[in-house]
Amino acid sequence: MRRVVITGLGVISPLGRDVESMMAGMDDGRSAVQYMEGWDKYIGLRSLVAAPVEMKDEKLIPRQKRRFMGRMSIFAVQAAEQAVADAGIDLEELQKERMGCVVGSTMGSAGSLSEAFESMLPDHDLSKMTSVKFFQCVSHTASMNVAHHLGITGVVMATSAACASGLQAVGQGYDLIRHGRQDAVLCGGAEDLHPTVTGSFDVLYATSAGYNDEPKKTPRPFDKDRDGLVCGEGAGILLLEEYEHAVARKAPIYAEITGYHTCGNGSHVSQSDNLAMVRCMREAMTQADIGVSDVDYVSAHATATMQGDVAEAVAIREIFGDTVPVSSLKGYIGHSLGASGAIELIASLKMMGKGELLPTLNLETVDPECEGIQHLQVKTEKNVNVLLKNSFAFGGINAVLICKKGV
Amino acid sequence: MTDEEIISVTNEVFEESFEIEKSRLTPDANVFNDLGLDSLDTVDLVVGLQKRFGVTIRNDERVRTIRTLQDIYDFIKVVKETEEKTG
Repeated sequence: MRRVVITGLGVISPLGRDVESMMAGMDDGRSAVQYMEGWDKYIGLRSLVAAPVEMKDEKLIPRQKRRFMGRMSIFAVQAAEQAVADAGIDLEELQKERMGCVVGSTMGSAGSLSEAFESMLPDHDLSKMTSVKFFQCVSHTASMNVAHHLGITGVVMATSAACASGLQAVGQGYDLIRHGRQDAVLCGGAEDLHPTVTGSFDVLYATSAGYNDEPKKTPRPFDKDRDGLVCGEGAGILLLEEYEHAVARKAPIYAEITGYHTCGNGSHVSQSDNLAMVRCMREAMTQADIGVSDVDYVSAHATATMQGDVAEAVAIREIFGDTVPVSSLKGYIGHSLGASGAIELIASLKMMGKGELLPTLNLETVDPECEGIQHLQVKTEKNVNVLLKNSFAFGGINAVLICKKGV
Repeated sequence: MTDEEIISVTNEVFEESFEIEKSRLTPDANVFNDLGLDSLDTVDLVVGLQKRFGVTIRNDERVRTIRTLQDIYDFIKVVKETEEKTG
C-alpha cells in the first residue's frame, strides 16, 4: 500500500474565510452562532439560531463557471483554491488525470433547491426554471464544480452520507491514493445553511430551540443543559498526496493518514448506536495498527443532541476510558453537516501542529450520562502525534479517520 | 410599451442575468460572439424575457433566429403587439 499525506488545507467557515482566521476565532473562544433575522416567518420553526458564513469574493469566479454553483459550491471552490495554494502545488504541471476530486455534502445546494421549487409553485409552472438550477441542485454539485473550476480530470465523485459526507470524502481520497488509482486528491465537504435544513432537523426535535435569545450559549456538546444542534455552513477541503509525490516536490506535510473506516449501524436511521461507533473506531485503529495508548486526541462528532452525545461518550469511554482528551468544535461553528468532518479535521490538524488542544465551547457542566471520558474544558498544551476524528451521521452511517503527525 | 422601454428592460435582463456591462449592450452586438452567451444562457435569456415582459416565448421558433440585441428588441415588440391585438 502506498502512503498518503495531507499537504494542503482550505476552509470557508462561519468563524472566518480561511484556516488562520477560523483558528484565531476558536483560539479566542468565539462562537459564530447568531439569531437569524427573518427565520421566524417559517411557521413551526423552533430553532432560530445558526452559524452563517459571510459570502465574499464570489465574483472572482468567472460567471461562466459560477452560474453552476449554489452557495456550497462557491464555498468549496474557494476552499479548494486555498488548499491548492497552501500545498504550493502547480496544477498545470500535475498529470491531471492522476489528480482526483472527492467532495461530499448532504445533498445539492439547499438554497438552490428551495429556489427551484419556489419558482415552480404554487402553479406547478416550469417557465421560471433556469437552465443552471439542475447543476446547483445535484448531489455532486460541489465536487463537480471544484473539478470543473480547477480542470481536474481524474476521479471526480461525491460522497453523500449526511454528516459523515466530508470525512467519507477524505477517506475515499485516502483509498484512491493508497491503492494507486490517483497520486493526489482534493477532498472534503461543503454545505449550505438554509432554514429548510434547520427545519428538517427541527421537526425531529434535534435542534437547539431554547437559546434563541442567547445564541452564543448554544450548541452545548456534552453539557447537561444542551438542547440540540445548531446548523452551520461552509467548506473544508484538503489536498491528499501520495507520500513520495509530496516528498519529491518538497511539499509541506501536515500529517499522514494511517487509518480509516466507515460503516452502517444496521439498526436505526436516526437513533445513534454506540456499538456501531465503537466498531468503527476500533476498525480504523486496526487499519492504523495502533492501540488505545497511541491516540493523543479524539475530535468528537458531538453535535449537542440529547441522544447522540451520550452514545458517542459511551463509545469513546468503552475504548479509551478517561485516558484521551476529547473535544467537540461544534460550539464554535455550529454543525456544518456534510462539511463538518473536513472542517473539524482541518482544525484538529492545526491543533496537532500547534501542540495545543481546544476545549468544547459551552461545555460547563458535563451531563452525568456523558461522564467517564476526558472532556477538554480549557485549552490544553499537548504533544499530539496521533488524532482520531469521528463523524456520525443520520442514516446510521459512521466514519472515523486517523492521522499521524510527522512522516 | 415603447421601443425605449423594450430596449431598457431587455438590457436590464442582460445586466442582471449575465453580468454584462451596459456599455457593451449595443443594438448590433451579437449575443453569442460579442456578449459570450452559450446554449444554456439562451434558455435563461428566454426565462428572463418571459418574466420581465410577461410573455410566453419558450416554444416560439423565432427565438432560434435571434443573433443580435436588435433582433431581441424587434422580436419582443412583435410578440407584445400580437398579444395586445389578440387581447
